[in-house]
Amino acid sequence: MAEKVKLFVNGQEVEVESGKNLIDAIGAIGIEIPHLCYHPALGADGNCRLCLVGIEDGRPPLVPACKTRVAEGMKVQLDTGKIKKIQQDIMEFELINHPIDCPVCDQAGECKLQDYYMRYDAQPSRMTVKQVLKSKKLDFGCGVVHDQERCVLCARCVRFTRLITKTGELGIVNRTDYARVEIFPGRPLNNRYALNVVDLCPVGAMTSQDFRFKQRVWFLTKSPSICHGCSKGCNIFIDHNREKYKDDIIYRFRPRHNEKVNGYFMCDDGRMTYKLENDNRLLGAMIDKRETGFNEAVEAVRRELSQAAKTVILVSPNASLEQMYALQQFAGTINAQVSGFSDGYIKNGDGDDFLIQDDKSANRATFHLLGIDDTRAGFDTAVAGADLLLSFDNDLSLSLPQTDLDQLLGQVKLITVGSRQNDFVTKASIKLPVASFSEDSGSIINCDGRLQRYDAAVIKNEPMPSMIAAINMLGGGIVSHQEAREGLQANVPKLKDIDLDQVPGDGIALTENEVAHVAA
Amino acid sequence: MQVKVLSAKFDIPDANTLEVAKKHGAYATLDKIFAMQPEEVTEIVKESGLRGRGGAGFPTGLKWTFLPKDTDKPVYLAVNSDESEPATFKDRYILVRDPHLLIEGIIICCYAIRSHAAYIYIRGEYTSQVKVLQAAIDEAYAAGYLGESVAGFDFQLDVTVHRGAGAYICGEETALLESVEGKKGQPRSKPPFPAVEGLYGCPTIINNVQSISSLPFILANGAAAYKAYGTEKSAGTHLFGISGLVKKPGMYELPFGLPILDVLEQVAGGLRDNRTLKGIIPGGSSTPVLTAEEAKTVTLDYESMAAHGTMFGSGGIVVLDDTVDIVKLVENLIHFYHHESCGQCTPCREGLGWMLKIVQKILNYEGTMADIDLLLELCDNIEMKTVCVLSAACTMSTRSYLNKFRSEFEAYIAHSASKHATM
Amino acid sequence: MSDRSQLIETGQPFNFDAQRDAEFERLIKRYPSRESMILPALWLVQEQEGWISAEAMAYVADRIGTFASKVYEVATFYTMYHLQPKGKYHICVCRTLSCYLLGKQEIVDYIIEHLDVRPGEVRADGLYSFEEVECLGHCGSAPVVQINGEFYENMTVEKLEELLATLQ
Repeated sequence: MAEKVKLFVNGQEVEVESGKNLIDAIGAIGIEIPHLCYHPALGADGNCRLCLVGIEDGRPPLVPACKTRVAEGMKVQLDTGKIKKIQQDIMEFELINHPIDCPVCDQAGECKLQDYYMRYDAQPSRMTVKQVLKSKKLDFGCGVVHDQERCVLCARCVRFTRLITKTGELGIVNRTDYARVEIFPGRPLNNRYALNVVDLCPVGAMTSQDFRFKQRVWFLTKSPSICHGCSKGCNIFIDHNREKYKDDIIYRFRPRHNEKVNGYFMCDDGRMTYKLENDNRLLGAMIDKRETGFNEAVEAVRRELSQAAKTVILVSPNASLEQMYALQQFAGTINAQVSGFSDGYIKNGDGDDFLIQDDKSANRATFHLLGIDDTRAGFDTAVAGADLLLSFDNDLSLSLPQTDLDQLLGQVKLITVGSRQNDFVTKASIKLPVASFSEDSGSIINCDGRLQRYDAAVIKNEPMPSMIAAINMLGGGIVSHQEAREGLQANVPKLKDIDLDQVPGDGIALTENEVAHVAA
Repeated sequence: MQVKVLSAKFDIPDANTLEVAKKHGAYATLDKIFAMQPEEVTEIVKESGLRGRGGAGFPTGLKWTFLPKDTDKPVYLAVNSDESEPATFKDRYILVRDPHLLIEGIIICCYAIRSHAAYIYIRGEYTSQVKVLQAAIDEAYAAGYLGESVAGFDFQLDVTVHRGAGAYICGEETALLESVEGKKGQPRSKPPFPAVEGLYGCPTIINNVQSISSLPFILANGAAAYKAYGTEKSAGTHLFGISGLVKKPGMYELPFGLPILDVLEQVAGGLRDNRTLKGIIPGGSSTPVLTAEEAKTVTLDYESMAAHGTMFGSGGIVVLDDTVDIVKLVENLIHFYHHESCGQCTPCREGLGWMLKIVQKILNYEGTMADIDLLLELCDNIEMKTVCVLSAACTMSTRSYLNKFRSEFEAYIAHSASKHATM
Repeated sequence: MSDRSQLIETGQPFNFDAQRDAEFERLIKRYPSRESMILPALWLVQEQEGWISAEAMAYVADRIGTFASKVYEVATFYTMYHLQPKGKYHICVCRTLSCYLLGKQEIVDYIIEHLDVRPGEVRADGLYSFEEVECLGHCGSAPVVQINGEFYENMTVEKLEELLATLQ
């Protein structure tokens, strides 16, 4: 447990975590100190001056809360007339040159200027002279669009590219109220995390080309989830909405803070994987390229299974812990071999030392936990003499060279159970559609051995069966996620002391001595 | 009234050259200081009562003692030669007429603070002056006064001239450091103070050119000799720059404590065309204006200025006569401070531009009485809410004109009201 | 202050000449951090070319090993860096306080009218460029004019006329 200090906020004694600045420490107990430039991941810059607070008996009497550490006995004043006046004045200065274009601003609804205006300013404009005009709709690269007039020059974006990505594409040029964020000519944003500046921007100055004008943010449901774009498992919000007469559609992924995994950020590639949830989905069951009913297709698969001499089950490294367990059980009942062969999901050298991993699958760690072989050799052994390949959302075309794949498909009948369309799935004689991760719940273990849990975010008008339900219909014994979790706990030694129904928000570290961690 | 302490060599032809400077005593203190412990040098400077000549008037010797003891990091000296405050032009005389005085002062200071690297930050506008300074430094290197072994003593010192490029704010000491580090001149939040964490994160002393140039006299003649000039709390002499509407504007070295009106009459020759005095800006454009009435009791020292609600500042005195349009003058001043705002803190960045446009609106006969009060309120709303005091420099002076010459603003507004009524 | 963010690209790569190259190498040894060379290097560029192009900024950034954005920030922050070509004679008139009090406006008006060049502009024939600048630190000899870095004090329209006659 972190050490605590006692201090006084507006005369009231409170206990907060030591070692933090006033914004974070006091914020953690629900007392807001308004701020624009401070961000926990970027440090205190102190340029916006909105977080000025009074320290009784302090020298100087006014300090920026972002640069002031809590100290035992400190008397912090937030509600005095003087401080309220400062907050109002700073907001007035922020707004005098700000275009009031909220109706056409993507940030409307999640804009600090809007929120703070209502809370700390709320006075009519006294600006009667000409505003400073700057450039709008600047293409900064990487899908980031910049509006200099909306910018409050907090420099979060600039600091992000200098401190976090260390690519330094952004700078604040000029001085005075002519200052503006710019890219150097011919050197636009060029890093794989660029879209984080859109989230970091407290106002509508940085917008995403991809998201612009698609939705008013107040209509979006913000559901917590885990990105499946690589094995890091960055925590995200799935922002989705069901418009009238339409289906529940995902409009964006945004990073969700988890200090143990991704901090405040995620990569752009991962962010764009929301499109995989919307597009190219397998929407109906098919037998020999003919649409059919789901139950009819299930019957067809069961027939094939019963007739097959040797069945191999190919599991995806994106499948959840529960799904993999259900498949293992199922394989046991039908005497099939299980392979997790998916080398093609690994892009050697693509990862970095921040968030991006070589392994573009979300849950390969569970293969190792459950003893699922994912080697090419293991796969070759498994398919030797097999006549039926049942693939659960594993795109084998990524991992096998074309000639090998052709040869294999000449030997086996291919059946796929999965959420999306691709060239490999096209080659299947029977296809069964199932829910994707955003419509399902599950647990995954990331590259660092952290087990994380996600719940269904999206509810489609015509929901696909969950993969576990599909496995059950095909003859698997596990009927529900709940049952899978109980089974995992009972049968997997590493999980025996973990309550998979009660995974904390920031996950659980499954290290060699994971039990100690869980106990703590 | 005039004295020659700092300006002793100013009128000697070619005193900027080492040969002439040496003939008139340059570098004579070095034998003496290298025979002392650095702390003894500091002690003498403390005793002399020398206060920082950049404007703030902080005791120079005391500032040096803020350096951490036993640091394993290098200590730096930054010599502030950015003098950019309008009405200030004193350091320029030292740079051009007696640069070896400055270099000798740098050696003394660096020895006292155990620094082996000094950076002279000279404002970019001093295009011809920097050449004279650099030539003097080159000569000092060639003669062994700088470099591996200063004057043959076991003390290494490098002096580097770092040119600004047009930014008033770099006279603010932390903005100056940022500029030396290759950044925009945006002041740092304090703490940490430069003495603890300055240039490149190392302990750093920043002193004004005139402060540093006062050291050779103090070390040569002793603290008491220096204190013999001036007043008890404002010891020594100062290079005053007198400009504006006087007969004989210029740079004059004077002891502290003289009545400002006597100086105006006897040194600067009185008002041009025998006009009437309207006001005096006592210490650079940022210092609150004194009315003619207030000026009667003011003497040229830190204490008297403070007692009259203004500041000694940089010693740049500007004389205003009754022809001066205060509203236009205020526009000129706010234009300057707005132009020089580094753009970092919201109130200064946005507020000064707003103030400027309001004054311009008044000048265009489009103002209202409410605009005067708004200006006054904005002064309050901006002042002391920022990292540095640039905005305060603007608001403190502007407020003084608004309060002391409000009728001139009201006259513009009355005129605009009648103009609009007849339209 | 005006917007200085619009850089000019020459389409030509920039390089220091031998003299500036040597000066760069001499100066860089004086600083514990390479980034300290940003201001001096921009001065060297301006000395060599008269102004600073986008290519020159990129060159400085790459030579120092820093982000072009940082050089861009510095070049646009400090107003003495010329971001466009100047006239053969670059005239700066101090506009602040003492120069204002002592009639800088007459000089400004004269330049606009008789030299046919407005503040911030270069005359079409490239002979003159003109800037009104903030305090030049010559308040005791106001008003002051700076032409190609040389100061001319106690300026009057008559003296400027005479001076310009020698500068054709």
